[in-house]
Amino acid sequence: MASFESHRSCACTLLAGFVLLVFWPWLAEAQQQAAGFAVERLYQSAPGAGWFVMDDLDISGRLGGAISLTSGYARNPLVIKGPDGEQKLAVVSEEAFVDFGAAITHDRLRAYINFPTPLLLSGTSGTLGQYQFTAPSVSLGNNPDTVSDPRIGFDIRLLGEPAGLFRLGAGAQLIFPNGNRTDYVTDGKYRGMFRFLAAGDAGAFTYAGQLGVHVRSLNDAQVPGGPNGSEFLYGISGGRRFAGSNGWGVVAGPEIFGETAFRAFFSGKTGTEALLTGRFEHTGTGRNLRIKLGVGHALVQDFGAAQWRIVFGVEMFGHK
Amino acid sequence: MRFWSFLLAVVRWVDCPERCATVFNVYGRGIHDLGLGQANLARVLIARTTMLVLVGFLLASSLASAQNGSPAPRPEDEFSFMQQLADKGLHDIENESWNAYGQFTYISSWKPSFSAPYTNLNGSINSLLPAAERSFTGTATLYLGVRLWKGAEGYLVPELISEQPLSQLRGLGGAIQNFELQKTGAETPQLYHSRIFVKQTLGLGGKSLVEESGPLQLGTHYDSRRLVFVAGNFSILDFFDTNAFDVDPRDGFLGLGFMTSAAYDFASDARGYSYGGVAQLFWDDWAVRVGRITPPKNPNQLPVDFRLFKYYGDQMEAEHKHTIRGQEGMVRVLAFRNRENMGRFRDAIAAFEANPHENATTCTGFNYGSQNADAPDLCWARKSNVKKGFGAFAEQYIGHDIGVFGRAMYADGQTEVYAYTSDDRSASVGVLAKGSAWSRPKDVAGVGGNFGWISNIHAKYLGMGGVDGFVGDGAITAAAEKSFDLFYSAHFRGVYWLTGDYQHVTNPGFNAARGPVNIFTVRIHGQF
Repeated sequence: MASFESHRSCACTLLAGFVLLVFWPWLAEAQQQAAGFAVERLYQSAPGAGWFVMDDLDISGRLGGAISLTSGYARNPLVIKGPDGEQKLAVVSEEAFVDFGAAITHDRLRAYINFPTPLLLSGTSGTLGQYQFTAPSVSLGNNPDTVSDPRIGFDIRLLGEPAGLFRLGAGAQLIFPNGNRTDYVTDGKYRGMFRFLAAGDAGAFTYAGQLGVHVRSLNDAQVPGGPNGSEFLYGISGGRRFAGSNGWGVVAGPEIFGETAFRAFFSGKTGTEALLTGRFEHTGTGRNLRIKLGVGHALVQDFGAAQWRIVFGVEMFGHK
Repeated sequence: MRFWSFLLAVVRWVDCPERCATVFNVYGRGIHDLGLGQANLARVLIARTTMLVLVGFLLASSLASAQNGSPAPRPEDEFSFMQQLADKGLHDIENESWNAYGQFTYISSWKPSFSAPYTNLNGSINSLLPAAERSFTGTATLYLGVRLWKGAEGYLVPELISEQPLSQLRGLGGAIQNFELQKTGAETPQLYHSRIFVKQTLGLGGKSLVEESGPLQLGTHYDSRRLVFVAGNFSILDFFDTNAFDVDPRDGFLGLGFMTSAAYDFASDARGYSYGGVAQLFWDDWAVRVGRITPPKNPNQLPVDFRLFKYYGDQMEAEHKHTIRGQEGMVRVLAFRNRENMGRFRDAIAAFEANPHENATTCTGFNYGSQNADAPDLCWARKSNVKKGFGAFAEQYIGHDIGVFGRAMYADGQTEVYAYTSDDRSASVGVLAKGSAWSRPKDVAGVGGNFGWISNIHAKYLGMGGVDGFVGDGAITAAAEKSFDLFYSAHFRGVYWLTGDYQHVTNPGFNAARGPVNIFTVRIHGQF
């Protein structure tokens, strides 16, 4: 009896091995690797543009310029749900960056560059459905000099004057692919942005908004949480200015911004975030200083809209 | 006079013929008691170096004009975006609040085939391949500077590189033909930030000096006595052992051994940059500087170890500027001490001899991938170790727009190369001249010699088939690696320099059994 059981066990093992051998290629093919993409959704405004995402279109004067340093931390910017809608995987649970920017302005024109540097990206690897997700492992030590997707941009104030009730402008950006997709810092493809910008000041109140297109060729729609191609951009901000002494003042108010893919405009995923911002700024001299702080939360948490984030920025700007 | 005596001594020493080379067999028998560096430094240095210096003096006497000229190349008469703005009244270039400069350089090298009785013997992997090869680098750099507050300057330098080295950057010590090559480079262009740092200057009085606008320098006035603190991400060569006569390396010699002492194994990542801090005291003609910077986590790799109290590279330099018969000159002494997670050659050999299983193919820690199962490997010996070195540099104008320079360094040679080159001792001499004498004042010409040696124990390790970060043919007939570099950079259309360069490398990888190697290079460089 023992011998029969032994033989049966052996036969089962052999059979299982045979089945595994025969079907292994098929199983391996079924398991696909998600490639990664540019997960950051805080598409910053130009250096010297006031808000974190919106643009105050306060471009004027002779030759001038701005430099900026922005750093932020986002929590759970990429949490993917499984086919059952229940299982979740925080592929990117932490993300931190620092961004250096410089702008040159003249009259109503502005040209700028930005060099984002990832400081930290980490998360949890796992399988959802037929996709294998590998979490990024980026740190300053392992990636001491990475620049991820730098951009150049151009803005123009088309209508209105600085400090006026209504200003209208337009902007374009070209984003260069740099870095590794597996680090979730780039799509690995060129991207572009075209935006219509609006802003104005009414007494102590100030506002700004944008509508635009994020031209994005990467379409990983079949991958849960992946980009779906080009996106529609929207955003609005408003705040109140509190004047201080010696040229210092504070502007406080929210910014709400997001994006949705054109490809599935009504059924696709949308990410929307709200950022409560405070700007402590010294203006009215040849050289101006602005210190910014923002704390935000996702209103609709989809691909790249962080569960919550904190952003800090410093800008020096001015013109002759 | 001591300097000239030193150079003469060096020249005599360079003349050491190949027969002076010490032959090492696989187990290192035959190594004489004198260190290879000392032995060769007593001989090999003198002949070729002397010849080069003599050539330099001959050139100097023939090219120098009768009057004493200003010693250094002056950038203010060269085209730049900032100068254009200043000319239009849109920018105060003498007291800058910001500036932006840029450059692009393409360097193409061709190495004909050369003679080599063996290559990558027994599975070692670090030979320079004897077949004809082509190498290139393309770089583009943007230098952004801004005044942050009183005395404070901030700099950001994004840089793009695409490259293809000769033999995957293997097989040469300090004679690597192109200083732009990086250990982790690739043909696909890579953008990275090479420098992000803040510089704070505290004036201490003295004379007011004009500091001209340029890359990594805002136009300003400094006290001749001042303290300068730098913190951030930079190349230590931005501050220590700076290039001879302040000639931009992209206008000057192409060889790696001319950028700094090849034996100066300064802590840096695979691209040559580090995080850390530097403090400098300038006191009229004197300057003293100290710095502590981060090493890579593993030798010659990109990831950086930020534990600056555990692993670090320390350096100290003293500098004096002088005038001899109306011609400016400078003398510097430099010492470095690195504590890094590196292997000692002696420990790697001992581990292998005690247990042959601990060879180059079996270590699972960081290694260079050697397939030589009969060779020791540094991977088995890595632990916290110290490397030390001491060197000197001198430059002297000897006529109008012409000068000679020399530098030498002696490192202990007990541990592996961690960042720069495999040289344990090095010396270089050369002559640089601008084309004032032939009415092309922005042209630059140079001729120089670079010499590198390895220690006895390093040679024994290589002779047993071991490899370090750059060299290891599987066997060695140890000798000084020597390179002769001759170039001419012609300036044209205001912003471009076209360079032709020839390098002759003897004993590549410190191995007299292989070579010599000829390398022909063309460089196009533009700056704005």
